[in-house]
Amino acid sequence: MSFHPLMDYGKGMHQSQRALADEGPAFVFTAENLATLEDICSRYPAERRKSAVIAALYLAQRQQGYISRNAMKAVAAAIRISTAEVEDVVSFYTMFYQRPVGKNIIQVCRTLSCALNGAERLTDELQKVLGISTGETTADGAFSLFEVECLGACDRAPVVGVNDDWHECQRPEDAQKLVDGLRTKGAASLTGCHLHKEHS
Amino acid sequence: METVTLTIDGQSVTVPKGKSVLEAIHASGGHVPYYCYHPGLQVDGSCRVCIVKIEKMPKLQTSCSTACADGMVVTTNSPEVEAARASVFEFLLVNHPLDCPVCDKGGECPLQDYAYSYGPERSRMEFPRRVFDGEGVKADVDFGPTLMLNRNRCIMCTRCERFMKEVDGDAQIGVFQRGVHSEIATFEEKGVVSLLSGNLMDVCPVGAITTRDYRFKSRPWDNPMAVDTICTGCEKGCNTTAWIKAKPEWAKGARLVRLTPRFNEDINQYWMCDIGRFDYHWVESDRRLLQPHVRSSRGSDATPWDEALVAVKAAVDAAGASHARVLVSGHASLEELYVLKQFAGLTGGVTFSWRHRPKPQPANTQFPIPAVDAPNLRGAKDLGFKLGATDSATDVSGLRAAVDTGAVKLLYVIDPGPDGSVGDTEWILAAKQSGKIATLIVQGVLKSALTEAADIVLPGCAFVEKDVTFTNATGHVQPASRVITPPGDAAEDWQILSKVAVAFGATVAQTTAAAVRQAIASECGSTPGYSALADLAFSRPVSARQYMQASNPMERGKWDTMFQDLPPIKFGDDFGPLPRADVIPLKPV
Ligand code: SF4
Ligand code: SF4
Ligand code: FES
Ligand code: FES
Repeated sequence: MSFHPLMDYGKGMHQSQRALADEGPAFVFTAENLATLEDICSRYPAERRKSAVIAALYLAQRQQGYISRNAMKAVAAAIRISTAEVEDVVSFYTMFYQRPVGKNIIQVCRTLSCALNGAERLTDELQKVLGISTGETTADGAFSLFEVECLGACDRAPVVGVNDDWHECQRPEDAQKLVDGLRTKGAASLTGCHLHKEHS
Repeated sequence: METVTLTIDGQSVTVPKGKSVLEAIHASGGHVPYYCYHPGLQVDGSCRVCIVKIEKMPKLQTSCSTACADGMVVTTNSPEVEAARASVFEFLLVNHPLDCPVCDKGGECPLQDYAYSYGPERSRMEFPRRVFDGEGVKADVDFGPTLMLNRNRCIMCTRCERFMKEVDGDAQIGVFQRGVHSEIATFEEKGVVSLLSGNLMDVCPVGAITTRDYRFKSRPWDNPMAVDTICTGCEKGCNTTAWIKAKPEWAKGARLVRLTPRFNEDINQYWMCDIGRFDYHWVESDRRLLQPHVRSSRGSDATPWDEALVAVKAAVDAAGASHARVLVSGHASLEELYVLKQFAGLTGGVTFSWRHRPKPQPANTQFPIPAVDAPNLRGAKDLGFKLGATDSATDVSGLRAAVDTGAVKLLYVIDPGPDGSVGDTEWILAAKQSGKIATLIVQGVLKSALTEAADIVLPGCAFVEKDVTFTNATGHVQPASRVITPPGDAAEDWQILSKVAVAFGATVAQTTAAAVRQAIASECGSTPGYSALADLAFSRPVSARQYMQASNPMERGKWDTMFQDLPPIKFGDDFGPLPRADVIPLKPV
């Protein structure tokens, strides 16, 4: 910037403590992902290209497993919005991860219905079973545990989201079973969402 | 114009179609508090303090985001509304640090004022407050080259984010995280780097965004005077308010403490750029020229004005008037140029020179800053001066050629602007060094290489030290008011010029600046804007208290529209009925 008089004020003492997303390795969309993204963008009017930001972030996350700062820059360039606007979206949604996560991502709902039905105790149990706290990943990289807001299946509370699936009516004592099932049978051990089943 | 008629607190109000209920309430003399609403930005509806009761609507509505409709019945002060509003304030203050005594916004903060007027008297919150970056002023973190950010004070109105997106054009600010953890931040904590960053301090309704320039420098009650003036940084001519710090004559330090934008729909709307806002320190700097100087065999000596003018006459006589050339920067006002014009014909010629400096800005910005750093080129043209071959770029080639051939014995430079406003001066210095220019006279405000080399130096006034007028690029003839007194023996530039005219054998008939403006008005009266010069009034320092009392109901939204940083406007019975007619005179009275 050409102009701005020197306005130092106690330099170095006043740095923000905000935790930044991992910078990550250099990120370039694969040709295939780029083509998919262009296809998605073409569904929106040209001046609404930024509507495709969530789709672009999903592509980036699938490609790299999480969304690094470098990935955010790549998304911003591809969607033609500012990096701040991208981080705005990434940090808002719990389904985007800003640092590497495990193979299975367990998300326990903590919103009202689930909370009243003992979601907190379920989280405690899962923490014990996995040996990690919320927000962490097991040493073998198999599981990450998060608390999230309403998953939209409140009538079968408490609800747990595992990767892209639901698992409903979870009692604290089911924690071990859930983890074992995921280890042995993977997604097949999950109940899925009754809403999806009833409506399909 | 299509209008709609609605009832507000039992009073029938007619407003143009498309206005929001909030605007209708303010237009009709009522008031509801607001934070996220800003007349220069798009509606957001996030702060909820503007809620009102609208009959037939199931819940209370945010008045800023509800369009007026025929037959609406709006209530702004029923017990239901008051209770709901008070609880919104209670929520706004749940995590607010309430460090008003050390906060830069204290005393002119809408959160303070409205919480005081509308909020509950105490909080029922028992949990610790959420804090970012530590407690107190330690939480003020770097937010780019001009700003500091304190997230603890932020009330998430998103005005700053919308300003960057909508006006600046480069959305550098985002709202990160969500819910109670939401925070205002920039990608990788790079801060806001923009030539419009200062406006974020104005739009922020709390002390979350403050400027490094004004931080801890003054409090609202320390600068009780404000003057409406204009910026002369470039050819845009933004309308501004200059704030003066109260201090005894003998006290050290600057009196001019800040410049803030003033609403002008045609020119700058609610904004101004950082150059105009922060580049004013030269006015009261040590580098000001305080006395006339004349060079003799002993060196350059400070002299009284009369001796300096005698020396000018001697220099002109020695060189011969027709071998004297004048070089003017685009910072000369209409008055100065008009006086110059009266003896321009007697000199060897007048040349204009200014700085062309393209400003780095996003391509889609709504507030482009012109590249021409001169406030009055249009005025010079209107007065009949020829700026150069094309009128659009500095063209000193004719003058340079004349200097090279030795035809210029005396060069008279007039530049009442900051550093660099006369464009390139290297060639003048070189010509003076080599003796091609025998005598160099400089009329200016700042010491520079040029004044060092000059034989005679005449100290003039900066734009905030004289009542003068400028014509901006779009043809608006605007007054710049005298805010502070000039330092030392510095004299108003038009007066200096009328004395210098005598040396060239001309007499200037006008003896007051007002008479000069009269003369311009009768000469250029047919050009739009100039006829008003005849009876133009300049703004005088107005006390903050008067501002406050001038807040007639029509102008209560003033801290947003004209004087964003107004001291508190209290809405209550304490002040008795607010005087209706007592507004600040912007026009002659
Ligand atoms: S920093 Fe100021 S302008 Fe920005 S959201 Fe917070 S309170 Fe509003
Ligand atoms: S745009 Fe020009 S006139 Fe406006 S504040 Fe900036 S320098 Fe001054
Ligand atoms: S509250 Fe848990 S799914 Fe809705
Ligand atoms: S001013 Fe209406 S919601 Fe903020």
